[in-house]
Amino acid sequence: MNTEKKIVTAGIVDDDEIFTYGFKKLIINKALFDEILTFANGKEAIDFLKAPENVHHLPDVLFVDINMPVMDGWEFNKAFEEIKSQLGKNIILYNISSSIDLDDIKRAKGNPLIADYILKPIDEAYLAGIAQSLQNPTDLKRYN
Amino acid sequence: MSFSESNTFSAESMAHIARIINDINAGVWEYNTDTKQVKWSVGLYAALGYAPGEIECSYNYFFDHLLYYHDKPAFLKTTYHPRHGGSPVAHIRLLTKQNGYQWFENTTKRHETSDGPIIHGVLTNINALKMLEVELAESNFNLAETGRIAKLGSWEIDIATMGLKCSKEMMEIFELTEDVKMTMEDSISYFEPQYRLLLTNIVNDAIRYCKPYDVEVQFKTAKNNVIWVRCKGMPVLNDYGKCVKLRGIFQDIDSIKKKGINMQSSINLLDDQNKRLQNFAYIVSHNLRSHSGNLKFMVNLFEESRQEEDRAEIFSHIKTISESLSATMGHLDEIVKIQSEITRERKAVDFETMFNNVASALQTNITATNAHISTNFTDCRQIDYIPAYMESIFQNLLTNALKYKHPDREPVINITTQKTGTDVYLLFEDNGVGIDMARYGDQLFGMYKTFHRNSDSKGIGLFITRNQVEALGGNIQVESAVNVGTKFTIKLV
Repeated sequence: MNTEKKIVTAGIVDDDEIFTYGFKKLIINKALFDEILTFANGKEAIDFLKAPENVHHLPDVLFVDINMPVMDGWEFNKAFEEIKSQLGKNIILYNISSSIDLDDIKRAKGNPLIADYILKPIDEAYLAGIAQSLQNPTDLKRYN
Repeated sequence: MSFSESNTFSAESMAHIARIINDINAGVWEYNTDTKQVKWSVGLYAALGYAPGEIECSYNYFFDHLLYYHDKPAFLKTTYHPRHGGSPVAHIRLLTKQNGYQWFENTTKRHETSDGPIIHGVLTNINALKMLEVELAESNFNLAETGRIAKLGSWEIDIATMGLKCSKEMMEIFELTEDVKMTMEDSISYFEPQYRLLLTNIVNDAIRYCKPYDVEVQFKTAKNNVIWVRCKGMPVLNDYGKCVKLRGIFQDIDSIKKKGINMQSSINLLDDQNKRLQNFAYIVSHNLRSHSGNLKFMVNLFEESRQEEDRAEIFSHIKTISESLSATMGHLDEIVKIQSEITRERKAVDFETMFNNVASALQTNITATNAHISTNFTDCRQIDYIPAYMESIFQNLLTNALKYKHPDREPVINITTQKTGTDVYLLFEDNGVGIDMARYGDQLFGMYKTFHRNSDSKGIGLFITRNQVEALGGNIQVESAVNVGTKFTIKLV
């Protein structure tokens, strides 16, 4: 049994500043993740992941919004797929959106790269479940 | 067996010939123009349905009672000398005893004899033939009329000689005279260039592989009228399954095709509008959901937060959400307004005046960016339009051009009107940052689509502009290159 608590880093990719603020606040208040990174759009996140100096600071999980300027969630998913094999870490991806458009939902759920499509407003219990599974390495296996 | 050649027959032959003449199924007559003496054969009585002697055998009786009055000139002509316009054969109608008027062929010959000039003739009943001829002419006429009314021609290619035969109606569609001779290649050259290869191929396939075809293509007549035509070809096979002839129809379907094309464009427009409405519904739901979601999120956090500075920050976000909700509602109002304002009266809008109004409202932005704006409304100075729409169009395009100016240069904006026929275009050109059309072209006019990290990008302006333009039956097109600029071409009416 691994009694030592694993450090888990989450990243949020969203242009909505209020949502990002609340998301961070919630994580800190509930101590869901140990560290939190924020990116205003897909391009900022990809640039961070690709930069060699960040190789030891990569997040364990990324929550990616769909509607963003510059590089939206779909474009991010594609760009991520291309660099995935070069990353030193298995990063779990979630798409988050307010869109209840069935086409959007199917598109995200149909992508094997995406763990799930989470509808905003985000469900606290669901988020806690994700955090729980990431802290427990045996549970983590189901994502590999 | 002329009577005048009697000297070559024996008396016995003559009696025999006289019998034959009386018995054959034709009437023979003789008329002496000096003595007015008339002789009719038994066959002549029989041909008219009488027994010999039942009617008066005289020139007057024939002319007044038997010959149809309309055919009198034709009959008289046969008795004239060819020098005076006589022609020996005439088709005439004679009154029979039981069957009314019937058609007869009358062949006349004139002789000078010692007794004076004699005219004799032979009458044959040709009524059945004549009826067939009339029927044939009538059905030919009907066929030609049907073809003419349906604008339908027919043609045939004989594969051995590759000779092309065209109906009169087909030549009419070509707007050529009937006597023009065409080869297959000639006829193909009348089709619009983009269809020539297709036609050559389908004709060759029809000949080689016995494949029928049916296509609708554009065609240019000899008088340079471009029309839609339907070409249908059907191979005719011999017993060995080889194509020996190609037969087909050629029909002018211009009016029906153009109606179809109009209908299709209406359907496309409706389809576009439907898609936009659907998109609009999703966007509204998305935006209201994201605001209401954030509101719920912040209210929860507010309740859970104990620290005063946290609560103050959260409350400031709640205020922002409240403002965003109002703004979203405002956008909704604007979109609904487009539909309600469409019923408003169109008024004469002066481009120059309208533009100056909008520009003075945006004067601060124009001065701040040091924009160079030139306008030229000389091609079309006025338009019947909904003034509120025109104001909104100018305002959105000008705001965009200033907002998305290139960081390295001052904005140069060119605005012109153009009149093409009855169409009025508004051209709006800038030298701003441009838009990656390959990437964003299809989303450009979508609601809440922003492509730049400008904090004041709201993604509503072009959506509204497009809806206003299309609501009045126009359309909007855009050309753009990143770092070069953007050009909007708006067909107003």
